[in-house]
Amino acid sequence: MSLNRIINSKSFDIGKSLLAFNLRYNGKFVPHPPQYRCFRTQARSLAYAKDLFLGQINKAEVFPYPEIGNEELEELNQFVAPVEKFFNENVDSKKIDEDAKIPAETLDGLKELGLFGMQVPEEYGGLGLSNTMYARLGEITALDGSIAVTLAAHQAIGLKGILIAGTEAQKEKYLPKLASGEHVAAFCLTEPGSGSDAASVTTRATLSEDGTHYLLNGSKMWISNGGFADIMTVFAKTEVVDQEGVKKDKMTAFLVERAFGGITSGLPEDKMGIRGSNTCEVVYDNVPVPLENVIGEVGGGFKVAMNILNSGRFSMGSSGAGMMKKLIEMTAEYATTRKQFNKKLSEFGMIQEKFALMATNAFVMESMAYLTAGMMDRPGVPDCSLEAAIVKVFSSEGSWICVSEALQVLGGLGFTKNYAYERYLRDCRILLIFEGTNEILRMYIALTGMQYAGKILTGKIKEMKRGNLGMAVGMMGQKLRSSFGGTKDYGLTGKDGLVHPSLADSALKLEQNVYLFGSAVESVLYRYGKSIVDEQLVLKRVADVIINLFAMTAVLSRASRSISIGLRNHDHEVLLANTFCAEAFFKNNYMMTQLQKHAPENNDASIKKIAEQILEKRAYVCAHPLDRTF
Amino acid sequence: MKCARCLLRLQGLGSVVPSARPANRYAYLLQSTTSPVLTKPLVAFNSHGEALRHFHGSSAWAKSSPPSSDLKEKEKEIDKSLLSRDELFERVARNAKTKAAFDKAIEAFTKRERRRRGHVEFIYAALQKMVEFGVERDLAVYNRLLDVFPKEVFVPRNFIQRMFNHYPRQQECAVQLLEQMENHGIMPNVDTKVLLVQIFGEKSHPMRKYQRLMYWFPRFKHVNPFPVPRLLPSDPVDLARLGLMRIANDLDTKVTVYQMPYTDITETGEEITLPHIVGTQSPDQVELLAKHDPSRPVFVEGPFPLWLRNVCVHYYVLRADPLPPGEKVEEPYDPERSLYYPLQLSLELERDMGDLGDDFDVEDLDEGPVFAMCMTGQGDQATLNQWISGLQEANAVLGRVPTLFRLDAGPRELQSPAGESHRPHPPPEAEPWVPGDEGGAGPARQEVDVTLEEEPQHSRGVKQ
Repeated sequence: MSLNRIINSKSFDIGKSLLAFNLRYNGKFVPHPPQYRCFRTQARSLAYAKDLFLGQINKAEVFPYPEIGNEELEELNQFVAPVEKFFNENVDSKKIDEDAKIPAETLDGLKELGLFGMQVPEEYGGLGLSNTMYARLGEITALDGSIAVTLAAHQAIGLKGILIAGTEAQKEKYLPKLASGEHVAAFCLTEPGSGSDAASVTTRATLSEDGTHYLLNGSKMWISNGGFADIMTVFAKTEVVDQEGVKKDKMTAFLVERAFGGITSGLPEDKMGIRGSNTCEVVYDNVPVPLENVIGEVGGGFKVAMNILNSGRFSMGSSGAGMMKKLIEMTAEYATTRKQFNKKLSEFGMIQEKFALMATNAFVMESMAYLTAGMMDRPGVPDCSLEAAIVKVFSSEGSWICVSEALQVLGGLGFTKNYAYERYLRDCRILLIFEGTNEILRMYIALTGMQYAGKILTGKIKEMKRGNLGMAVGMMGQKLRSSFGGTKDYGLTGKDGLVHPSLADSALKLEQNVYLFGSAVESVLYRYGKSIVDEQLVLKRVADVIINLFAMTAVLSRASRSISIGLRNHDHEVLLANTFCAEAFFKNNYMMTQLQKHAPENNDASIKKIAEQILEKRAYVCAHPLDRTF
Repeated sequence: MKCARCLLRLQGLGSVVPSARPANRYAYLLQSTTSPVLTKPLVAFNSHGEALRHFHGSSAWAKSSPPSSDLKEKEKEIDKSLLSRDELFERVARNAKTKAAFDKAIEAFTKRERRRRGHVEFIYAALQKMVEFGVERDLAVYNRLLDVFPKEVFVPRNFIQRMFNHYPRQQECAVQLLEQMENHGIMPNVDTKVLLVQIFGEKSHPMRKYQRLMYWFPRFKHVNPFPVPRLLPSDPVDLARLGLMRIANDLDTKVTVYQMPYTDITETGEEITLPHIVGTQSPDQVELLAKHDPSRPVFVEGPFPLWLRNVCVHYYVLRADPLPPGEKVEEPYDPERSLYYPLQLSLELERDMGDLGDDFDVEDLDEGPVFAMCMTGQGDQATLNQWISGLQEANAVLGRVPTLFRLDAGPRELQSPAGESHRPHPPPEAEPWVPGDEGGAGPARQEVDVTLEEEPQHSRGVKQ
């Protein structure tokens, strides 16, 4: 069956790794995508989030909600149980935080559970988990931030290079030891002068005189696991001769063993959160790297880096949700026992609101994370980087707000070190920063969509600018229709609708939003053209709307499935989904109004001016309110 | 309305008063004997001319005021009376012209004149002398001067007095005092107000003046976003630093003193004076210069004047011509630059006309980059060369770029009109030569390289 699917798929040539990766299921698991999806391999060229920019809902991508087979689920649950047990009994997060170190026995335990090779194919000694299963385990590992980050640095980015672009020899040589945890991996890209700007990477690899190896020189900063990693994916500039014979500096990815010599690690950084994870500077001084340790092509390091970064993000949604679920339990316990004025805390409206917020956020994160993971697990080479970025932004911000609200429920107690809340809060803060800051990811989300929509809409917009009367009249009609609340029927509701009738209202809201978003994107493109890259505040709104739209889709799809198959407490899911959609609908409408020209809701000009004046002075400009002039 | 008119007249009046002042001095020189005190305040009042007549006087004044027939004779008489006041100050000033001496003069007057006869003349005289004694910016002194007025005498008591100008001469004198405060930027305080109320009552011209001062002064206090310190540093190096930072307006700019002023006498007895060289350069400018095409020359230009209060200093810039439009090379877009998001979209859509915004700016001209600035005590090529070689430490490219000196024979010509033909645009005459200037740009004015003057307009030389 599985083999069939692969042969059917267009992706026959995507490389042995994937073949091996999928073949593995034959032995252990039933192929995870259920039957109905087997015939849809051709549809891979389309993606859900990108189509939203065109005002289209690509229903087939997100309905029904992806699920895994029964045996796979059973297998997964067998996995989850011991990991959960381990985390509850053997991990002392408080101590890890205080000592800023994960004890060796804890790490050994993790290795024994196979958590260092979750996505490494079984033939190389890993667990060979699919993205969905990886996300599920991420829920549990997230219970301790330091461990989650150490694991993520090891396998989500550290050894991902080998999985994505490594040769068979490299895989055979390195993966088994990495999967068992005997070797730990690290991802070394950031430099003191280079965050997201690849052009300012100064680490160099020069070919030795005899041409047998490269000599690596430079230093890398903020390397997770940098203190003890044995295998590092290092990015360095190499001289490459391009087609025209011009010598150029291009980035290349190298697989560097600590055993090569010449590598020194700095002192671990003293961080605010995830203190148990090791972050430090790594210096390379004439490190000899053999030619066969180049990952991918020489000069092709940029693509490798981008692919690694793009593929590592989706799991943050489930991690956040895992953490939130735990926090809700802890906080609810407190709120229902503590009494004030002879009333339980849980009876106060403002406390209840916080729990509703936490539950909604956890629900949305979860829905988005598993929808994306499911999309990624489909055959073909699914490009879900946009969805993954959306999940990362939403879940990191949601987690931050929710942890803060949970802490607020406890008041002063939450602020003390007697409770775990402050640690969660500190740990949580990094989510908004690493794997691409949320600002940068918003740019990525909006610009990727804009590029996609722009390619398709260019002709239409040019026609309009040229003054095509028919086009203009058509546009006017469309605008008029949408201003009266008219919308396109996307087929989510009604007879043969994909969304359950109890969610029909929310589905209509989504349809209306998507329709409006399509025209908003069009008008933004009309107005700014390719100079949109400089309009960050516009892009931020576009990104926020698309995040909400994807979130609405995810909850609708998930809740519909839950009702349809009669999952436990599905009425609660419907409630959460409807609440979230209603709220997101208004937020979206507001943001799309702000996107209009001359909208009074839009304060961008003033915001920019304020910032400019402050930054010119590099200080707060106002006089003190107590100052006098006479 | 009335008040406004009166104030206007007051200003007109101000122009009359100074004309009498030189006369005072001459009179003082001529008369060796001390003339008796006070005498004719009435005359003094009248002599201020017709302007005052528009000040509605109280009936009492109108009656006692004789018709002004012979103005010259009157003036002489005022001189006499004023002279005595002047002399009061001259006398105390014999030791030192200080605040204490000034206070002493006021004290002497108040002691001598129990009834405060001639206080108006005294105050006018005192106002004149304030700059001389260096107390023109001292609020306490102004308040003390106001205190010389007798209290409660001039406060109107009935509606008629209030309606007309009660004791116009006294009121006008107080207004003059307040105006002098205004001119020196001194803001009155509560004491001033209390004094004015005591002297002239709540509704009087001085009170109005006070209120206007209090209305505008606070509003204008911070009107200049780039205030110049009131006391400029006397050290030319510090002054240069201040001036350069004022122009640079970049918080990252670094000031480098390439040479401290230095005077030495050689063995042959020749005196050698090394001028100061102070320069600025910001990191952005260093970057710009590093990118500069070595085949294009850079220019040292100057001197350009910069006024700091009443001091004029001169600065030189190191600049290049803007690239001709054809040769501008835009950095090629590198798609492998940003790891996270595309820096450019490959779309063929331009920005819509309606959204071009108000980017147009008359100041946004391509003038060519300025790489560095300096101020020096001596604007000759040798000195400036030293600056350039100092700059080379941080900007290695300067060693390869031809450096042209385009120096105007600048500041010297402010003094000697003979050299005016060298300048395409002679400096406007309004630019005053301020005596206090010497500290800042004095040397530059006097010691401009002689050879420069001989060359027409610009002296050119290529630095190796």
